[in-house]
Amino acid sequence: MTDASDDTLAAPRRRFLENGFLFWHEFVLVALLAGLLIYAARVEPVFTRTKTQLNLSTHIWELAILALPMTLIIITSGIDLSVGSTMALCAVVLGMSFRAGTPIALACVFAAITGLGCGVLNGIFIACVRVHPLIVTLATLSAYRGLAEGISHGEAISRFPPAFTQISGNLAGLPIPGLLFALFALVTAIALGKTPTGRAIYAMGFNETACRFSGIATNKIKLILYTLAGLAASLTAILFAARRNTANAAVGDGMELDVITAVVLGGTSIFGGRGRVIGTILGVLLIHETREFVSWHWQNDVLIQVVVGVLLILSVLLNTLLTPRGRE
Amino acid sequence: MTTGTTTSAHPQSPGIATRTSSSKSIPGLARSLLAQREWGVAVLLALTVTAVAIVNPAFLQPANLRDVLVNNAPFAIIAAGVTFVIVTAEIDISVGSLAGLLSAVMGLLTSRDYAHLNVALACLIVLAIGTFVGAINGVLVAYCRVPSIIVTLGMLTALRGATELLMAGKWIQNLPDSLRFLGTGSIAGVPVSILTAAALIIASMILATRTPLGRRIYAVGSNVHAARLAGLSPRRIKLFVFTFTGFLVGVATLVGVTKFSTIDPAIGKNWELFVVTAVVVGGASISGGKGTIIGTVLGVLLLGIVGTVLTFLKLGDRLTYWERAIQGAFILLAVLADHLGGKREK
Repeated sequence: MTDASDDTLAAPRRRFLENGFLFWHEFVLVALLAGLLIYAARVEPVFTRTKTQLNLSTHIWELAILALPMTLIIITSGIDLSVGSTMALCAVVLGMSFRAGTPIALACVFAAITGLGCGVLNGIFIACVRVHPLIVTLATLSAYRGLAEGISHGEAISRFPPAFTQISGNLAGLPIPGLLFALFALVTAIALGKTPTGRAIYAMGFNETACRFSGIATNKIKLILYTLAGLAASLTAILFAARRNTANAAVGDGMELDVITAVVLGGTSIFGGRGRVIGTILGVLLIHETREFVSWHWQNDVLIQVVVGVLLILSVLLNTLLTPRGRE
Repeated sequence: MTTGTTTSAHPQSPGIATRTSSSKSIPGLARSLLAQREWGVAVLLALTVTAVAIVNPAFLQPANLRDVLVNNAPFAIIAAGVTFVIVTAEIDISVGSLAGLLSAVMGLLTSRDYAHLNVALACLIVLAIGTFVGAINGVLVAYCRVPSIIVTLGMLTALRGATELLMAGKWIQNLPDSLRFLGTGSIAGVPVSILTAAALIIASMILATRTPLGRRIYAVGSNVHAARLAGLSPRRIKLFVFTFTGFLVGVATLVGVTKFSTIDPAIGKNWELFVVTAVVVGGASISGGKGTIIGTVLGVLLLGIVGTVLTFLKLGDRLTYWERAIQGAFILLAVLADHLGGKREK
């Protein structure tokens, strides 16, 4: 949306300020989270018990898993609006192939292939046809959801075998989706922070043209990132189907906005070049805890939408007010 | 990050906007014909209508065509505003939620079950709130430098929540007849909503092509630095386009939502997607500086008739489930056509 290619002169100074702010942003998130949990512990002692939190955590993992590739994509100054629709298409493929008599394991493979295909299609349009990611994924947001509705005729498929629904259960007392997320988060954090590809991802967000001229395979990186987002969506579709024991074309409706909100709340700049996995995790946690606490305490989860929306604008407003001018 | 060569939106726009090297060698008219997406969309629209009319002549019945126009009138009104926003290289995805909020306000103010206020006063309040929310978006984007996608994403969530709080999960019924007239009535045989949409579309076209402000909007979108150096105020212009869009959402709510006898909390959901899609299909560039009102209107009509067309093709009820898939395919086709036509955005 904006061109950052002409203000690289001020980069060292700005980078210092931004890095300083980045820690501060995460500090603010931790403080908000701590404040919320301390308040919650005083008003609703049951809410902050480990067991309650583990039970409530079933709602968080799909959002959290999708937020990881989204962080990488937004750092490259891209965006993926189609993740929710990809989830729906994968869930429908999973459900329909299961209903047609495919073994559930094979149906999961089909869902994964669908997610891969969706991601690759996004990636090809963005990297090779060079259309703005917002446009491509806006188109595929409609297209994938439409395909899901077309294939399923709006019907829901349920009654999956118990062996499948156990995917969303516990392993040694810990939720399996949570363990998967922890693994992915670790891999993403290391890839982003400690590898040349990670540096390239940040660099692409600052100045893509310069990256291409320095011999970084920007197209390949983009293609891989959007494919990863598609794969993550298929995984969350499988987890969702297992958790709710149902699959239909409405799965993941509005999910893309939640995911982007969490990532941006976590301090990733929508203009690219800035962001961390730890910030995203805190963003996801903050949204999750606020949401769960409000619905626990007031039995009302409508007000929370207003709070999350305002929180999002405020956190970025603070962010832009504290960084020096430029990047317009 | 795709501020590359952007073709001028209209032939006589200021030098800031024209940066293609080939533009000088081809006469203005021919270039505008070649460079604009409008013609492609118009041809596609004409082909679709012709094909459906051959399969099922009932499609061309005046009543049906009128229905298509009435259904798409609110989208065309909002899309005119969003076109200006996208031309300035910003985006507004809060329009659907704003329409939802304004519907709730309108219903609560006028319904006999609630405030039962004077209809004219209620309409003014709805327009004022729409304009106000648009202005908040504008101030946050232009003066506080928050990216427009974030501002309007936050608004999308917050306004949707506010709507649900206001309506408390209930439907609003018993709207007064004088209000329903805006959505269902006709003046001289033409529905009010179509008249309003036509008037606003013509006004927007005049604004875009015949006024200094319109030129400035395109100039800011083409190259914000050059526009600032030329003495324009990108901030004020961006504030204007967001405020104008908020106002248009108010108008669209008044003429669009009143055709239903009840107001349900889901009104406006996904409108932003439809509107932005239509604007992009109509040829506006997300990186700014390019886009026309007529293209947007054609885009709205093309995407808007998909549902009706599927019904009239009589290929079975189940085909209507594919509506959104076909709409999505239309955008991908449009951008692919641009790519094959050599008009890369970068």
